[in-house]
Amino acid sequence: MTQFLAFLPLAAPLALLAAAAVARTEPGLRPARALSAAGIASLVALGAALLSVMVLIATGAATSPLVGTAGIGLSVRLDALSVTMLGLVALVGVVVIRFSATYLDGDARQGLFMGRLCLTLAAVMLLVTSGNTVQLAMAWIATSLALHGLLVFYGDRRRAAIAARKKFIAARLGDVLLIAALVPLTLAFGTTDIATILGAAAGMEAAPAGVGFAAVLIALAALVKSAAFPTHGWLPEVMDTPTPVSALLHAGIINAGGFLAIRFADVLMLFTPSLHLLAIVGGFTALFGAVVMLTQTSVKVSLAWSTVAQMGFMLLQCGLGLFALATLHLVAHSLYKAHAFLSAGSAAETVGETRALARLSPAPGRIALAGGLALAVAVALSLGFSALLGAIFADTAAGTAAASPQAIALGAILVFGLTLMLVHAGPQDAEVAAGDAATVPSLPLARLLAVSAAVTLAYLALHALAQTLYAGVLPPPPAADAAGIAVMLLAVVSFGVVTVFQMVEPARAASPAWRAARVHLANGLYVNTLFNRLAGAYTASGHSKA
Amino acid sequence: MTAQTKALVVAEAACARVAPVWPLQAFVAVNPYLGMADLSLPQAAQRLARVAGARTLQPRSVYLAALEAGEIAPEDLLAARAAMHGGDLPKDAAALIGLARDLPETDVQPLPTLVDLAGEADGRAWSDLVVERISAHAASVFDAGQAAWARPVDGLYAGWLMDARIDRTPDAAGLTGLRAQFAALPETAAALVEEAADELGLQGEALELYFHRLMMSVGGWAAYARHAAWQAGLEGRSDDTPLQLLAIRLAYDLAVLRANAENSALLEACQTAAAAYAQSDQAARALQLDCLLQTALERADARRLARDLEAGSAASADATDIATPGPDVQAVFCIDVRSEVYRRSLESVAPQVETLGFAGFFGFAIAYKGAGEEARSARCPVLLAPQAFVCEAVPSKDVAERAALTKRMASAWAAFKLAAVSSFAFVETAGLGYLGKLAADGFALGKRLDSRLAAAPPALVPSTAAGEATGLPLEQRIAAAEGALRGMSLTDGFARIVFLVGHGATSRNNPHAHGLDCGACGGQSGEANARVAAAVLNDPEVRAALVGRGIAIPQDTLFVAGLHDTTTDEVAILDAATVPASHAEDLAKLAEALQAAGRLTRAERALRIAGASETDIAARAADWAQVRPEWGLAGCSAFIAAPRARTAKVDLGGRAFLHTYDWRADEGFGVLEVVMTAPMVVASWINLQYYGSSVDQQVFGSGNKVLHNVVGGIGVLEGGGGDLRVGLPFQSLHDGEREAHAPRRLSVVIEAPQEAIRDVIARNDGVRQLLDSGWVSLFVMDGKGRIAARYAGDLAFEDWTDVSAPASALHREEAA
Repeated sequence: MTQFLAFLPLAAPLALLAAAAVARTEPGLRPARALSAAGIASLVALGAALLSVMVLIATGAATSPLVGTAGIGLSVRLDALSVTMLGLVALVGVVVIRFSATYLDGDARQGLFMGRLCLTLAAVMLLVTSGNTVQLAMAWIATSLALHGLLVFYGDRRRAAIAARKKFIAARLGDVLLIAALVPLTLAFGTTDIATILGAAAGMEAAPAGVGFAAVLIALAALVKSAAFPTHGWLPEVMDTPTPVSALLHAGIINAGGFLAIRFADVLMLFTPSLHLLAIVGGFTALFGAVVMLTQTSVKVSLAWSTVAQMGFMLLQCGLGLFALATLHLVAHSLYKAHAFLSAGSAAETVGETRALARLSPAPGRIALAGGLALAVAVALSLGFSALLGAIFADTAAGTAAASPQAIALGAILVFGLTLMLVHAGPQDAEVAAGDAATVPSLPLARLLAVSAAVTLAYLALHALAQTLYAGVLPPPPAADAAGIAVMLLAVVSFGVVTVFQMVEPARAASPAWRAARVHLANGLYVNTLFNRLAGAYTASGHSKA
Repeated sequence: MTAQTKALVVAEAACARVAPVWPLQAFVAVNPYLGMADLSLPQAAQRLARVAGARTLQPRSVYLAALEAGEIAPEDLLAARAAMHGGDLPKDAAALIGLARDLPETDVQPLPTLVDLAGEADGRAWSDLVVERISAHAASVFDAGQAAWARPVDGLYAGWLMDARIDRTPDAAGLTGLRAQFAALPETAAALVEEAADELGLQGEALELYFHRLMMSVGGWAAYARHAAWQAGLEGRSDDTPLQLLAIRLAYDLAVLRANAENSALLEACQTAAAAYAQSDQAARALQLDCLLQTALERADARRLARDLEAGSAASADATDIATPGPDVQAVFCIDVRSEVYRRSLESVAPQVETLGFAGFFGFAIAYKGAGEEARSARCPVLLAPQAFVCEAVPSKDVAERAALTKRMASAWAAFKLAAVSSFAFVETAGLGYLGKLAADGFALGKRLDSRLAAAPPALVPSTAAGEATGLPLEQRIAAAEGALRGMSLTDGFARIVFLVGHGATSRNNPHAHGLDCGACGGQSGEANARVAAAVLNDPEVRAALVGRGIAIPQDTLFVAGLHDTTTDEVAILDAATVPASHAEDLAKLAEALQAAGRLTRAERALRIAGASETDIAARAADWAQVRPEWGLAGCSAFIAAPRARTAKVDLGGRAFLHTYDWRADEGFGVLEVVMTAPMVVASWINLQYYGSSVDQQVFGSGNKVLHNVVGGIGVLEGGGGDLRVGLPFQSLHDGEREAHAPRRLSVVIEAPQEAIRDVIARNDGVRQLLDSGWVSLFVMDGKGRIAARYAGDLAFEDWTDVSAPASALHREEAA
């Protein structure tokens, strides 16, 4: 019975596929039927996702029987990870479909658009609920092909076509890597069933032949799919497509890489070099993306670089073995980014927000003081929080994971963040205070400390919650070996360097070295341009009209 | 004059050909043909085709359909032909119709630039690359705060030069050798322009045309640079931002030219191109024909307007035969075309309300700062510089301090959210909270406070804020009050309530939201000006002084401020709590009438909006996905300055600007001069903005809203890159099935003596140019409300008393 209940999540993609079929009959302007079909299907999908959560709570994790033969076919994995991802995608689906119904009203091909949207959502849902490796690979490829249809929705736009071509190339590379990973994995474990593979892997001490190789390829596939450096070039450029596609891409589809790494966490754990690869490339991408983001002048491109950074950070978390936290990060980022894209039309109203950051240039003493305070807040609250948790639930997964060196390394990044907030305490810098701002009162430290404490508590509580929710599904972080510790130190130091850079930069922006750095970084170190050139972006000529 | 300075003069002239664009925070309509006012339609069309590949006319099919349907009569064609000086088009209607069917439209292709030619030679899209580079640089210079790592402030050209010497993008893209050339470029924009002019080998007209072509190749940023110069001009400063942009674009040409000094094929192509630039600007025959058809179409429209106005005036005259008591309320609305629908509705539900039309800033050219705002904004037409600075009254120092503290806290939080490292911690701690925001925005949950209605009244008492004078001194109040009342021809017969209604729009998540606000208030919502005007006109000292100037406002007349939300057609009475008890009942009655009028207006407007009904208009305004919250000023085609009685009985369909004007009360015709030099010009800006965005979405429109990407907080890109986009988006002009705006140049109707009108034209070169070049048509209304004459150019008028007959349908056989 439980096994058959595990088919429940399948209702979500099926509903959307049905809506896509309806939309096919009505590809044009103001497609009333297609719009209501898509709207209803998105709600059915969300309902199915919520019901799946209840089934999971009631009956526990399960895999449905396979509809197919010889391990090839359709089967559904119902566990905390798949249900989380399904719920997330369904939720984003509801919002994006509702948004698009109004936003694209009057477009001559709105029906076609809605159909492609439903199809893409269905493909992602099949991906995240995959019970076997064959389905996983098929859904992985299908997602990218369906997305391609959305990216070239305005296919006569030159930039749309080029960016989609770049995405297509990156995606095929991802496909090859994934298939190259899944084949040896399936052969090594003798089954396509993902739960069986994970169960077996969790029980092993060392990787069997071929599995280490597979683990590295999984890491690589995850990196490519997440637009990690140097394959990030397409992501900030796929903007010549309607805004809701960006929302879906950045909140639903870009997660596929992270999902893959998290799904096969048990396999990656068998071969720690694969984790180090994720941590180093992910960490670098996080910092690279975040710094480039600071130089971008358009809201959507800036958001895209932010996604590059956030996905890098999430992969860093995977690389540190903190898979539950990576899952939390995926979900939180998706909700944030979906909203950020859909509300990007308000950017002209909120554009002043970053000014405080742009003009901040505190003295070194102030930075040190803020850093010290941030550290004190974080340490004191963490100790208090752990003690509290320990007192309430002795020996929980949350307790043990929170104390791991990896979690502490990650905590350092929170401290850096709080430092950035705490340096705002006190009077406003004289150079910032222009005109009417002269009367602006000094910002009390107590207020900022209170916010910092609230942030820290939210951080600790959410981390504890994530560790608890995914305790049965995802492995705890590995014992840190020398290489692991080196990776952690590298991460902490480089994040610290960027934090300081961020604070001293405004004062020095005009010096030759910083100017040069800004030019190179604003252009993404030219990786994009080279990729463009390879993808033929500059071939063909003609007069530009305007 | 030396050769060098000649190049700069030519460059300045080319820059002046580009119309400015305002930032999104004050997105007012701009006449995209502003720099073409000295050119006739065929001349401008020809020039824009050459420098931008722009279309200036509608597709031929539109004209053919109008001929077919009999909308254009043969006499319209003949009149349009007669008005066209020279040209080799036939002079009889049948031949013109035949030509319209047979002569293919011109294929609009811009002249090539040097970079275009280099790209053609290499088989590479170097033009796109250059636009991309310039756009990225301009965006970072004009950025109002999107990039947290802002570029150092170092000037448009100087900054570009420093960065271009570092930037490896052209090399990475395969366009090598530029950096070496950039190293040798002069350090100032002026020097570069002179050097380039020397090496390009173009002179005079051809050189200006080429410079114009280069400006239009980055037309969006060129327009934004022109805005900087415009603002500087208002403040009496000189500014060479447009020239700097031209220098940057020229630098690419120069670098490419120098890098290809040995490339004989390219040099030959340049020779050919140079010859093309030197050719005359004579419009092609097909282009002339389309201009003629457009002119005929507009004439046909004017005839119908004349017929309607005559009938309306007659009906009004009948109605006023019955003696009516004075009105209970005089409601003054903005001249905006959206007011016309509402005024008609209000008059129909409340005959005791008289409505007037006047520019929605009510003559108070102020800069205003709300309590929660960081910076002031100009609340007056962009033709003017603000004359005074007014702040929202702040209840107490405590409240202000608390608000400022909250703001600082918010910016500390924003830094945490957006900074490189903290953004990761932000996502983990606050990201899940966006579930609530997604639900709230996705399903429009929760009610948002309308800050326009909740704002405190303005502080008018002269004072200082941050070392700057604020408020309005008495002298200024008196002058503005007198100007406003005379300007709206309201100097006696005051009702108990004079309701001054500003207007603003409601839309969410809309980069072009300010484009829907009041243009007369500088692209802001009009409540601040209405509040200031009402407060000043209620001021006893002001009233006492006005008596001395011949305007006696009765003691029991109260000025009340209001706000017309043009998206929802709710009209709010502002600060009703401060109204004395004596007028409370009048106000309650007015409020009731406003409600009823709102419903009526929404019902009428909903007919124009696909899929909308009277009841869901408000929900559309609150929807963050809505790309058509309202039609704005789409459809605007006429400007009428006359007493309301001339238009009260006509349904003008929300297409006419209505300015209340009674020439009998205008001694010396000072008000007429203001009407013709300010509101009329602004109306033509708006009208031509709609025209330009309609006939060429690519060059003078901002494209598809679903792709819009706000850049620098001040403008939009269409998608990920390319040039800044100017003008109105497609969705503001079209609903996918039919256009909401039919492109017509403005028809102005003024009831005033012909000689007075002629004198104003003769005295004002700008107005004369606009009329003589045909960008605006002017009609004279006589004392009976009939259109008696049409301005024919060169200070002459032609008789229209015979023309005004109803449109006679063209013979169907002939059209078929």
